Amino acid sequence: MNLRLLKRLDDWFYLLPALFFLTFVLIIPLVYIFALSFYKMPLGREAVFIGFANFTRILKDALFYKSLKNTFLYAFPAVGIKAVIGLAVAVFLNQKFRGRGFLRAISILPWALPPFICAVLFWFIYDYRGIGNFLLSLFGLKPIHWLGFEYAMPSIILVNVWHGWPFFYLGFLAGLQAIPEELYESASIDGASSWQKFLYVTLPILKPVFWIVCSLSLMWTMGDFVIPKMMTGGGPADATLTIPIATYKIAFLLGLNYPLASAYAVSILPIFAILIFFTLRQMGGSQ
Amino acid sequence: MRKRNFSKNIQIIIFSVILLLWIFIPVYWIIKTAFSPEEEAWNLAPSSNLTLNNFRKIFSGKRELAPGEISMEEVTGVSLTISSTINRPLLNTLWVSVLAVTFTMVVSSLAGYNLARFVYPGKKFASSLILFAYVFPPFILMVPMTLILKRIGLTDSLFGLSIVHLAYTIPFATYMLSGYFMGIPRELDEAAMVDGCSRFQAFLRITLPLAAPGLVTVAIFSFVLSWGDVIFATVLINDVDKYTLPLHIGFFLYGGEIVDPGALAATTIFAGLVPALLYLTVQRFVRMGIVAGAVKG
Repeated sequence: MNLRLLKRLDDWFYLLPALFFLTFVLIIPLVYIFALSFYKMPLGREAVFIGFANFTRILKDALFYKSLKNTFLYAFPAVGIKAVIGLAVAVFLNQKFRGRGFLRAISILPWALPPFICAVLFWFIYDYRGIGNFLLSLFGLKPIHWLGFEYAMPSIILVNVWHGWPFFYLGFLAGLQAIPEELYESASIDGASSWQKFLYVTLPILKPVFWIVCSLSLMWTMGDFVIPKMMTGGGPADATLTIPIATYKIAFLLGLNYPLASAYAVSILPIFAILIFFTLRQMGGSQ
Repeated sequence: MRKRNFSKNIQIIIFSVILLLWIFIPVYWIIKTAFSPEEEAWNLAPSSNLTLNNFRKIFSGKRELAPGEISMEEVTGVSLTISSTINRPLLNTLWVSVLAVTFTMVVSSLAGYNLARFVYPGKKFASSLILFAYVFPPFILMVPMTLILKRIGLTDSLFGLSIVHLAYTIPFATYMLSGYFMGIPRELDEAAMVDGCSRFQAFLRITLPLAAPGLVTVAIFSFVLSWGDVIFATVLINDVDKYTLPLHIGFFLYGGEIVDPGALAATTIFAGLVPALLYLTVQRFVRMGIVAGAVKG
């Protein structure tokens, strides 16, 4: 009995340091933000329990709907475009040709750069003296205010796409490499064109990978703080105010209302919970 | 047949060029700016007289003016007097990342070994927790983490910041390392245990050395995660002396406009080169690591 208990402790011993740190940096903060969203914290005074008041308040708050809408407007197009580019490049680099190794290595560069570096790269492109307007002029278009009210959202989506597409590419490439050559050969014998092979062999096999990569990326893009913060800070006139940016602004810039900011963050958690559940199931399922 | 090869080659060349342009235009632009003299910063073509002036400036705070050149400070009226060199933020970032990686590797190699080898009730929960922590968007932790660190007096502390970075690095490293350990035959450490090693000795002497390439790869990825953190640095660090690189870079934007393009470009190259080089050195593990990990679980 004692020996078995000791054995059990030995099992857990390896995990304990990790669990200790994760409790401190993840579990306690998560519990804390849940609790906080039910309180009111007047500056310099004790916190007061107010039940769902923060949530009923944000449900009447136009700013909340705007930031929720912006979060979707940012994430869905970004994920869609990343998936298309990632798939195209993966299919392309899965062919055999000279120079493929170099292209494969270089294709992860945007993903290897931390997001804040990508943001700065695009500061230079979007500057009115920058290369963005030069490229427009090549097509005979007038220079625009890239980060002005009208174009701010597409512009920051482009930054996110540029940074994030290699994640899709890597996922799809791994999926493609797992497809046995014979499948294509037998499809050729049956007289399939290369487009039909792509449609009926490649795509169905990539489906599980596709869902995992998309749901992960959707979650990360909806929760993306760095790129909107560094490109526009949520502006101009809240045109790019997403939930993460709204949480930050309410908590740290406008009046230090931590509980209200917590309610903003918590209100988007159900979506993350669904995505996480879905992802974990997919990842577990393909084990 | 030959004709078909020819058109296929053309397709490959066109696609390669588009891919290279897509990746390199943003990068080219910043490299070009970093090596251009100040007055040519916004020219599209590379300058004919390339210079290291911008790099000199970000490390020493001074740059030599070409004869007849007017300094940017005189034109814009804005000077980069606040923390004008990269030295301090660079050291801060390095220190935070190294500290975070050290903690991570100790803690995560133990936990990864546990997940790879042991069978016990509650293991599924433990591994789900790690995976959950890995995919979780960290902005949610911004508010509570700040309040907790304020309470224990660890805001404006580089030590505190590196501890908070463990929220990124531990789940990631544990998850990846457990994958590496699973790839090492368990018969090897079982054999060592038959020969009289304890479980822990077998782990230290057999599994860890065999996993060395994996350990290096994971350490590098964790380092890059910590290096690239903006979220926690933004909310936890106010003291200019403790600024990390992403915060330092904010000094170069004034009213939405880039103040000193040359110095900003040089700083950015420096801040981006470290992760990019580290990544490229281990890039052949990237496919096996992150994605094999992500896809095969």
